[in-house]
Amino acid sequence: MKHHYWEMPIVIYLFLGGLGGGIMFLSAIFDFFITPGAGVLFAWPMFIALAALAVGCFFLVFELGQPLVFWRVWTTATAIIKWGATLLVIAMVFGALWWVSYLPWEWISGLAGALAGARGLFLGIAGFAGFGIMVYTGVMLSTLKAHAFWATPALPVLFTISAISTACAAIALGLGGWPVEFSLEAVFVTEVIHEILHIVDIVLVCAEIVVLLIMVLSFFGAGNVTAKAVATRWVKGKTAPLFWIGMVGFGLIIPLVLYIGGAGSAASSVVAPVLVLLGGLLLRYLCVYSDERAEIPGENRYYNRIAKGDEKFVSEWRGKENLY
Amino acid sequence: MTRYVMVIDKRRCIGCQSCTVACRTWNDLPLDIVYNPVVTEGTQGTWPNVHRDWTPLLCMHCANPECVPCCPTGASQQDEDGTVWIDSKKCMACKVCVNACPYGMRDASHLEPRLHRFVRKCTFCRDRRQMDPSAKPYCVDTCHQKARIFGDIDDPESEVSKLIGSVKTERLFTEFGTDPQIYYIPELGGKA
Amino acid sequence: MTEIDIHADGVEMVKSLCYFCHANCGVLAYVKDGDVIKIEGDPDYSNHGGLCCRGTSALLHVNHPARINHALKRVGEKGEGKWEKIPYDQAIQEVADKLNQIKAESGAEAVATAGGTTRTDDWARRRFLNQFGSPNGFHNALLCWIPTFMAETCVAGWSPFETDLGGAKCLILWGMNPGASTLGGMDGYTDLQKAGLKIVVVDPRYSETASKADLWVPLRPGSDAALALSMLHTIIYEGLYDYNFVNEWCDGFDELREHVKEYTPEWAAPITWLKPEQIREVARMYAMNRPGCIQWGCTWDQIGRASTTGSHAIALIRAVCGNLDVPGGDGMPGPSLGFLTDEEMEANECLPEEQKAKQIGSNKFKLTSWPGYQLISDNAKRTWGKTLPTEWFCEAHGPSVFKAIITGDPYQVRALIVNATNPVNSYGDAKMTLQALKQCEFLVTVDYWMTPAALFSDYVFPAAGALERPTIVTHYGATDSFMGGRRAIQPKYDRHTDMTFWRKLGLACGQDPEMWPWETEEEAYYHILEPLGLSISCYNDFVDYYRMYYPPLHQNKFITNGGFWTPSGKVECNSSILRQLGYSGMPTYIGCIENEIDTPEIAEEYPIVLTTGGGFMPYHHSEHFQMEGIRFLYPDPYFSINPELAEKLKIAYGDWCWIETRRGRIKMRANVEPEVAPNVVFAPRGWWFPERDGSADLDNPFGCLESNVNVLTSVDDWDCDPMGGSWANRGLMCKVYKCGEFDKDYKPSDTQFSIPGSSKEPGVTVMPSDQHLAREPIPFEVPQPPEEVPEGYEWVWQSGNLYTKDTHFRLDESGWLINPRTKGYHDAYTGWRYDAAGECLVDDETGKMYTMDREEIPFVAGIRCYPGAEAAPYEVPENLTWSVERGHAVLGDLAYVYDPNSGWLIDPETGAFHDAYYGFAYDAERGCLVDGATGKCYDMSYNELVAEDPEQAASEGAAATEEGE
Repeated sequence: MKHHYWEMPIVIYLFLGGLGGGIMFLSAIFDFFITPGAGVLFAWPMFIALAALAVGCFFLVFELGQPLVFWRVWTTATAIIKWGATLLVIAMVFGALWWVSYLPWEWISGLAGALAGARGLFLGIAGFAGFGIMVYTGVMLSTLKAHAFWATPALPVLFTISAISTACAAIALGLGGWPVEFSLEAVFVTEVIHEILHIVDIVLVCAEIVVLLIMVLSFFGAGNVTAKAVATRWVKGKTAPLFWIGMVGFGLIIPLVLYIGGAGSAASSVVAPVLVLLGGLLLRYLCVYSDERAEIPGENRYYNRIAKGDEKFVSEWRGKENLY
Repeated sequence: MTRYVMVIDKRRCIGCQSCTVACRTWNDLPLDIVYNPVVTEGTQGTWPNVHRDWTPLLCMHCANPECVPCCPTGASQQDEDGTVWIDSKKCMACKVCVNACPYGMRDASHLEPRLHRFVRKCTFCRDRRQMDPSAKPYCVDTCHQKARIFGDIDDPESEVSKLIGSVKTERLFTEFGTDPQIYYIPELGGKA
Repeated sequence: MTEIDIHADGVEMVKSLCYFCHANCGVLAYVKDGDVIKIEGDPDYSNHGGLCCRGTSALLHVNHPARINHALKRVGEKGEGKWEKIPYDQAIQEVADKLNQIKAESGAEAVATAGGTTRTDDWARRRFLNQFGSPNGFHNALLCWIPTFMAETCVAGWSPFETDLGGAKCLILWGMNPGASTLGGMDGYTDLQKAGLKIVVVDPRYSETASKADLWVPLRPGSDAALALSMLHTIIYEGLYDYNFVNEWCDGFDELREHVKEYTPEWAAPITWLKPEQIREVARMYAMNRPGCIQWGCTWDQIGRASTTGSHAIALIRAVCGNLDVPGGDGMPGPSLGFLTDEEMEANECLPEEQKAKQIGSNKFKLTSWPGYQLISDNAKRTWGKTLPTEWFCEAHGPSVFKAIITGDPYQVRALIVNATNPVNSYGDAKMTLQALKQCEFLVTVDYWMTPAALFSDYVFPAAGALERPTIVTHYGATDSFMGGRRAIQPKYDRHTDMTFWRKLGLACGQDPEMWPWETEEEAYYHILEPLGLSISCYNDFVDYYRMYYPPLHQNKFITNGGFWTPSGKVECNSSILRQLGYSGMPTYIGCIENEIDTPEIAEEYPIVLTTGGGFMPYHHSEHFQMEGIRFLYPDPYFSINPELAEKLKIAYGDWCWIETRRGRIKMRANVEPEVAPNVVFAPRGWWFPERDGSADLDNPFGCLESNVNVLTSVDDWDCDPMGGSWANRGLMCKVYKCGEFDKDYKPSDTQFSIPGSSKEPGVTVMPSDQHLAREPIPFEVPQPPEEVPEGYEWVWQSGNLYTKDTHFRLDESGWLINPRTKGYHDAYTGWRYDAAGECLVDDETGKMYTMDREEIPFVAGIRCYPGAEAAPYEVPENLTWSVERGHAVLGDLAYVYDPNSGWLIDPETGAFHDAYYGFAYDAERGCLVDGATGKCYDMSYNELVAEDPEQAASEGAAATEEGE
């Protein structure tokens, strides 16, 4: 059957969207509830988040057939994609405002100072929007009920957990970076946050393992024909190595082991978060490419037999005229 | 009210794919776009006790389409007469509708120039009917076997109404709640 | 999306016909500014608006970038693909000069032409050839209907090919798959089936049509002759035949009964792989549901040496069941007696007798070349009054011409004009054919596309396609109905229609311009139609107002005709024409060329049965592979293989596999599905890859060999049908194996040709003349006439009748000649027609009339006179007297002639009317009689009219005239 309408750009977009949204969400949580006043420590992670969202948006728009029509997204009411786009814009605008307010450069100090007063508001809005984006990436797929593997409430849960988990990892990697100036307090608070993130991510990775296995194995055991076929592919088919070794092994179990066993070492603070991030990307990849529909009898045979579009006869005469 | 539907008589279809090709030429479609594939699982059974049928497909012009509400730009829309169509100027080809359709009846071409791609689908030949209200979709006219019957289901005198009322018909994937409006008379068991 | 408004101003709708297969469906072309913008099926034509993949691609076809648009002259080596575009007429002249040179050096027969299927006005090709003097024109005719037609004509006097399905109860579609070949007819079958018609499909494949059949007979490929003979046996020995018909109309039935005695269903069962009961079931279904039809199928003519045996047996099945030319049966249209037949356009009288004898293959395959054609055609002229075209029905044996190009045996053919065919893909033994094209001294191709033949040509001419030419349908010139479509647009670029090509070539060769009076098809077609006397003034009028012409439905013509159109006047169960040609007059079984029973040694190495040649959607023959929109749906060749066999051979769906016969191997992808028997594979025909660079591999240009089933077929003389010359496409033995990792490319060794094709050694190992036929000729002495045949007459031994040699009229016992067309009497000495109403003879050429004593009848002022007659042959009015000398009644001594039909006197000088009483002149303007001497006017009752009131006089006169009438 004809599928894979969405390909790598969308995978990247979904991953980066979740990541960016997650960072903003976590930044807000920390700033408001856990370590108030430590906002500047999150400036660099916020930059990562903004960059992730920007690059994600670029891939999203890049994938469009007619990108110049993109503005029409805000002309309709019902579509879930509209909400995704809106949340993205809000998160990026307010995240950026918040981030700008921390910029140390002379030439922008006036603006930064003016914005500083509303930092709480900016971060609050960006945090909310970020949360929305995380959830949205999963919900968007799960509303497409033609695809049995997507159309499950477990998917938004999985994507959200993964998004926060990857955000933890990304924050852990970027926390306290530029433009924070060295101070004992900063080092101390950074360390505290690292500790919290460490534990949170252990919990999240465990949760992700549980939700992922429940989702995949329940489809494998009891899903409808289409979902079962996809799950079978994951569990013991073509995708199985990528799933078990890549996703479960390198993306979840090994980071988990490193987090727990290698506490304090580079393995825990650098390797594990990087693996979590890669695992998050792989999860989006595996899910987006699991877009099988229920087959209309004969459909697979049909699309298997027709040309793929890269044949010589497709290109040989294209755009030519009057050859002989 | 007018509500267009199509009845496809699988007892008559012989899988020639004329409708597929006719549609491509009338609508000037890029090669990788097929609005109305005619699919078959091939011959089934054990020689010589075998059987085969064909299922001509096209947009189901659902009464409750999945592909319209999900469209973020308003390009994907439905006329009062049930025709689901896409305004190519409004479409940005995000392909959410493509993924929303349980029947795989929409796509954007990969062979068209970058930045000029949009999602397309069968429109029950909306252009033909706009120019001549009595016109039928080209695949209907071109079908040698007259296996495709097009008409207004709200008109009790129409051929489609009479067929649907008298012959056993089936529809594809009603479980999605899309209420598809293409009715198939099965190869076996359809009493004429 | 380009939306085109066909209802806009300036858009003209032209009624055209499709020409991408033989169904010739009606097409409405919407033309704007000389370009077709859209097409639709014509809802008012027999296709009811339907158009298939091929037809709907017409616009892609007309505008395809790879179409040949200019005359091309080769500038590089043959096959190098280097061309110079030159003006069309210049190319024509250069070709003509070369042809004339070859003719002068080697004789006209050294020039041959190859055609494919009907796509052209082939009478024009023959008109050229006949004037040029070459008998060596040929098509794929021998694979398609012609041998069957000739065998059927030997049985009953014409092919009963026009099924009257409306009245039929049963239809056998035998080796025919309209569901994939000619869709135009399929919906009719489906409708009739719904209304109760029983459809039997005889096909080794579960074809598109078989899947809709009431009864499907899945026989072994190539075993059709055995099935037909055993059905004939069943029908005769179960007493299911039509006793009355056989008694009254069949000759030799008892001999036939004896002849088919051994062909029991039990005998046929192991050959056909059917159960005897299945055979009986089909036989009973057909024979007991009368009237019924058997639709001709291409298969009959593609089984090689067993072809015509099968079609002959089928012809007899029809005949003994009385289904010939009856309502609900198979109608025998005969040649058109109204419009001109193709034969009348061919100028066959131009071809000298000695050239006929040089026709290649005519010494072997006599039924479909000059020897058989001459017998059949002379007979047709005697029985119908018109005959079959020579094109298609009397041709050189194509494969033998290709062999002659390679071997010079029987003589060197030096030039070949290829028009509307891609011979490598459509003729048997593709490797040998390709070699012939490479080796041909002077090769000219007229085509739409750069085919392998065009690639090796010296000149390539662009051909105009379906929308660029008017099209007529007369079923190879063998029927009496006529359908026409208009030219939608003038040919684009430098494309020309085929008729124009042959005409221009003929004129450039120095042929008489008076023999080529028609510059366009429209003029020629109008000439063809003129004798119908329709109220049209040009061909386009015909299309616009009539579109099709059918003679009044005439069935049971054999009754009104007083017999069938065979030499004996009966259905000949033991055909006299076949016997005269040295063949068995009754079908005698012979197996297909390779099979488990006759050739076990071949079956051992090649255990799988291959069948091929059948049409399949969306392609037609070797055409349409360039149409991207179609090709996209069917990009690769797939052969069908049963899952059981596939499993045994470890072949999975989609695998590329080799299919190999004794003659070569090709590769195709496996379509694993149980549509064929576990020991059978079905391979589609025609495949080549026009998108490739032809010059890159001259051993296999455009991949024309690698997936081409004709690499596997056989044209060896012993494999060809000894009567019709059909070569072997069906029921071949092969082996199938998956393409290996190191054996997946087509190698140069795979392209080696050999003659015979089944030779183990490459090259020519047996010269064509040394190849024997599958059957020895049966000597036949034509009986001698009992008494001397008068000069100008010939004696027909079957009936004992005398016929005039030139007009083919029968000399009746009464001493009169009988015209077969009109059944009218003609004078035996002069040929003048007897006119019963006038009791005189009429010379239709001059229009003159003669008395029964052959004296010219004098006419004065258009009135017949009887000079010398003593008494008037009609009643003479009282005032007149009979003039013996002048031979008419006269008034006094006036010069006027009395006309007994109107009762008036006619002035022979002016033609004016005078009354028979006084000789007053009739004034038509005033409606009165005028006395020339006095100038007075009279009404019709001779009352003088008052001159003062001429108007009243006139009206009174007119009233009087009315009363008088």
